[in-house]
Parts: sequence; structure tokens; C-alpha cells
Amino acid sequence: MKTVGMPRGLFYYYYYPWYKTFFNDLGARVILSSPTTRITVDQGINMAVDETCFPIKVYFGHVQELCQYDLDYLFVPRIVSVEARSYICPKFMGVPDMIRASFSDLPPLIDITIDISRSPRDFQEELYKTGRLFTKSRRRIKAAYEHGREELKYCQAIAAQGYTMAEAIDIWEGQEEKGSWNSDLCIGVLGHGYSLYDQTISLDIIGRLRKMGCRVLLPEALPGERVEEEASTMPKRIFWTLGRKMVGSAFIMEKKPEIDGIIYVACFACGPDSFIGEIIERKIENKPYMLLVIDEHTGEGGLNTRLEAFCDMLRRKRRQKIEDNLPAYG
Amino acid sequence: MSYYLGVDIGSVSSNFVLIDEKQQLQEKLYLRTEGNPVRAIKNGYKELLEKRREKLDIKGIGATGSGRHLADIILGADVVKNEITAHAVAASWFYPEVRTIIEIGGQDSKIILLQGGVVSDFAMNTVCAAGTGSFLDQQASRLNMSIYDFGPTALKSKQAVRIAGRCGVFAESDMIHKQQMGYPIEDILMGLCEALVRNYLNNVGKGKKIEAPIIFQGGVAANAGLKKAFEKILQTPIMIPPHYDVMGAIGAAILAREYIEDQGVNTAFKGDSFIIEGQFKSSSFECKGCPNLCEVVCIKREQEILAYWGDRCQKWESSLGHKEVG
Repeated sequence: MKTVGMPRGLFYYYYYPWYKTFFNDLGARVILSSPTTRITVDQGINMAVDETCFPIKVYFGHVQELCQYDLDYLFVPRIVSVEARSYICPKFMGVPDMIRASFSDLPPLIDITIDISRSPRDFQEELYKTGRLFTKSRRRIKAAYEHGREELKYCQAIAAQGYTMAEAIDIWEGQEEKGSWNSDLCIGVLGHGYSLYDQTISLDIIGRLRKMGCRVLLPEALPGERVEEEASTMPKRIFWTLGRKMVGSAFIMEKKPEIDGIIYVACFACGPDSFIGEIIERKIENKPYMLLVIDEHTGEGGLNTRLEAFCDMLRRKRRQKIEDNLPAYG
Repeated sequence: MSYYLGVDIGSVSSNFVLIDEKQQLQEKLYLRTEGNPVRAIKNGYKELLEKRREKLDIKGIGATGSGRHLADIILGADVVKNEITAHAVAASWFYPEVRTIIEIGGQDSKIILLQGGVVSDFAMNTVCAAGTGSFLDQQASRLNMSIYDFGPTALKSKQAVRIAGRCGVFAESDMIHKQQMGYPIEDILMGLCEALVRNYLNNVGKGKKIEAPIIFQGGVAANAGLKKAFEKILQTPIMIPPHYDVMGAIGAAILAREYIEDQGVNTAFKGDSFIIEGQFKSSSFECKGCPNLCEVVCIKREQEILAYWGDRCQKWESSLGHKEVG
């Protein structure tokens, strides 16, 4: 049985169920790196080019972990574009090349180029090409591809119930669903999935908010067409896939009466984040909004202070509203 | 007499206040943390006792600042609150009409906007601490000048020089360049004040609608040069509360009073002998339980372990059955 290594980082959070199903159906075993830890981070920082962003550095740490296994292939796709007229950050385009340049003892890479902007069938064609490494049967490849797509949809449906993509993947893999959280606040949290849903990179912002009594609403819980519709109200079309999704999601969240506030989690060295976070800040006028910038630091104190102050503000505001509405004559 | 104690354990200063049941300030203490918050908390409390020369009847304690959890462990706090809420509560108690609070401390700078006495928006410095108190301290000591003379000297300036405030390192190299060109020291200091104000407004205050009345508090408000620079750039008068340096602690005390009176509970205060007689020690270790290698802090009093924190899985923290550190 052939083995395929897959780093638990970057677009793992958006596509893993599809890839895993695809490889399994073709008779391959998928070896996933373990959840990010301090060691993953340290190794990633050692191996990666300094100018990249934090999530890419962490990705390098996951590659390093996988290098210790005897793998037939390492799956590190070059993701250029996942939808028409839209792109992923240019740093992603260089990921397979940077990995080749930084590691000496790599297993053979599957570094297919996914560029839907080139052709709508690009993803399919590239995965078909990958499939031929494992079988000659085109029919079998096609079936595995279709099955993968169904499984991803199923996993996305789990996420839409209020789970992060990381939790949804765990549940999809058969883990038990987590219990419900008590909450009196509802907060919309935005950010690139590969930073937000990695508990180490984001310092578990979502878990912290839940502990502080917040229900968290994530972009994956919003209908895609509505997100596009809202994002298209911008005077110029945003051609970064994730950036546009965040702007559209923020606009929907602003209109939802049950949402008390919005938090955007940006990465310090992220180019698109540096202006998407800013655009949202300028456009959101009717809801409290907070931009949190994360990087390699482990200082949790500053993060807790900001989250706690944000929740306090929302609760005190609500209390004031109730008091203002009470008739003065009792 | 009965008091509520408020403590604000910051990176540079540790502040203590006593307020009475009518929320009037009875005592205040501003001490330097000097890198040892445990000692600062203990000494602060001791000094407070010596100053009052009476048995303090503490009805409640509120703690804030980045060392608030330490204060909670040593003193036994009823309310442990973040600095934003504490500062806002204190400012709106003294100035019910306040709309904007500028707060600059040792490592943090914040802007807080209020409507009807409640925070409506706030921001804190992100990754960079340029322009906060510790940077001013550092510059004063480089110029071999007491930080207390910084403001009065800057005020003598007639023509401030232009200094880049975007980054502390650039600001310092600009200052050195101007000093070697022969510009008078007061013009350089005033130039630095204006640079820091511009940096604050473009960074922390970015996109925020700054409306009067404006209050300037935190340790850095002692610097008259910065007040003048804010007034020049914002073109509005700025108020500095009489107790600008301990506003966080006052806020914490007020919150403690609110909490104790609303809930009708007794204070969690640990008592004089617990605080003064015991030896408090903190130590840290790297937990090897999993690859996360969390740096766990352990706070001890004599042989008794009071608290652990820093472990992601909370196996140490919860081993004591303590309340959660949030």
C-alpha cells in the first residue's frame, strides 16, 4: 500500500476531506502530521524563509515531522487559484519550491498546480493526473474524485452547525461531537482558516471566547451565495478568495441582529490581511469591531486582556440598553 | 474605617488605592514594579498599612493590570478585571461626560471611546510598544535626565524638531542625529513628544472618532510635553485627572465595591498575616507532558502551592481546584 504524507496546515483546513477520500479510494494510505505544537512551530521557524507568514512557517514544521516517516509521496499542492477570477496569496504559489529548497531528504513531492483561474476544470485535471500515480483506471479515479467532493460537502455541512473546520474534520473522521457551550453573547469571528482554526497559531482564540460565554459565528456557517452577494457591493472586486469571503461575511454579520460584535484575526506578515482587516474596520459602522494581530509570540496575557475587554464592553452596553429602556417612573 | 482596595499591577508601576464606601479616594500609592510584581504587591500592601497606621477593614478587593492574576493569588481579589474596563469605570466616575480616554502606560497604550458612561469602542497598541512609558524612560536615561524633568524641559521648546515616531529605533536614531547637529535638547524632546502623539493617533487611534471631553491618564500623563503635543495636534484642550497615575486601581476598587454590594457577599481577601508574613516564590518549568512544552508558572507561599498557570491543557491549573484564570 502506498503512503501519502499530508501536512496539517494551510489548505488542510479547507480541503482535507476531499484529498483524504480521494487517496483512500485509490488504495493509498494518508499520513497526516499531528496537530501543531510548540515543536512544530520551532522546527518551522528554523526551516522556513524568514519573510513568509507565520502559518507558512508552521506548515514547514509539519513537513519536517512528515520527513521522518517512510513515505512514497508528500502531497504539497501549489495552490494558485480555487475559483474563477480569484487568487490565493502569492506566497502559496511558492510553497513547493520553498520546501524543495529548504529540505534535503524529501520523499517525492506531489506538487500539482491548482489554478482554476486558468480553467474551471483545472482542479479535476490535476487530481486526475495525481490519481494516475496510483491506478490506471480512469473510471476509478473519477469515482474517487466525485466521492471526495461529496465528503468535503458533508464536512462543510458539519462546520455550518457552529464548529470550526478543524473540529468539523475531527467529527467527520469519527470523533464525538463536542458538547454545547453556554453563552450569552454571540461574536462573529473572521480570519484565514489556517490561522484561526489552528489552536496553536491563533492561541485558541475561539476556545477562549467560548469559555468567556460567547457563541462564535464563523464564515463557514454563512451561505456562500450570500457572502458573494455582500462582497460584490464593494466598488472594486476583491480578487483574493479569502479576503473577499471575509469582507462578505463581515457585511452579513453586521446585518444579523443576534451578533453582538465582530473580531478579525489577522496575521502580522500577511499582505492581504493588512488591508482587508482595514477595509472591514472602515465599513462596519453598526457593530463593535476588533482587529487582533497574531504572530510568533506566545504572550497570552495581551490577547486575554483584549478579548475580556471586548466581552465586557458588549455586556455593559447591553445592560445599559436595558436600563435605558426601563420607564423612569417604575 | 471600611475600605475597598484597588490594585493595578502594571509592567512598570504597581498602584494601590483605598476608597471608602462613598467611593471617595482615601489613599493612593504609586510604586515601581521593578520587574518583580510579587515583591511589589507585598511591599505595596505593607506600605499601605504603614501609611494608614490603622487596622484596615477591607470590604473588597479589585485587581487589574497585566499582573492582576498574581495580585489575585497573593491578596485574594473579588474582582479581576482587564485594564480597559477598569480605566473606563474610573474615568466615567470622575467625569460622567467623558467621550474619549487616552491612556498610556508602561507597555500599553489604549484609546477608549465612551457613550453615556459605557465603553462603545476601544483599541490597544498591536505588536509594537513604541511611544509608551518604558520608551520615554529609556530615552530620559540615555540623556542622563530624570524622567520627572522630561516634561518641564520639553515645555521650554519654541520650535519642535521633526522626529520619526513610527518606530522606537528610528525615533532614537533621529534624536541622536538632531542632537549631533546641535539642536537644543528642549526642541528635540518636544519633537519626540509630537512624534509619539502622531504615532499614537495613527496607530492606536486609527479610524477612531476622537470627541471631547478628552481625558489623558496613565503614568505617561505626568509628562506635560505630551499633553501639550496632544492639544496642539488635536486642537482641543485635554484634561488630566488629579489621580491620573492610579486610575486603573481606582477603577478596580469601584468594580470591587459594585460587585460586593450587588452580590452581598464577603470578600475573598486573604488577610494581613497571609500577605505580610509568608514568603512568596514563583518558579517556572517546561511541562514535558506533551509536545506543546508549555512554560508553566508555579506560585508558592512557603511550601504551599497557590497557583499554576501557562499550561494549555490546564492539567496543572486544575490540579489545585482553583478558579479558572481567564
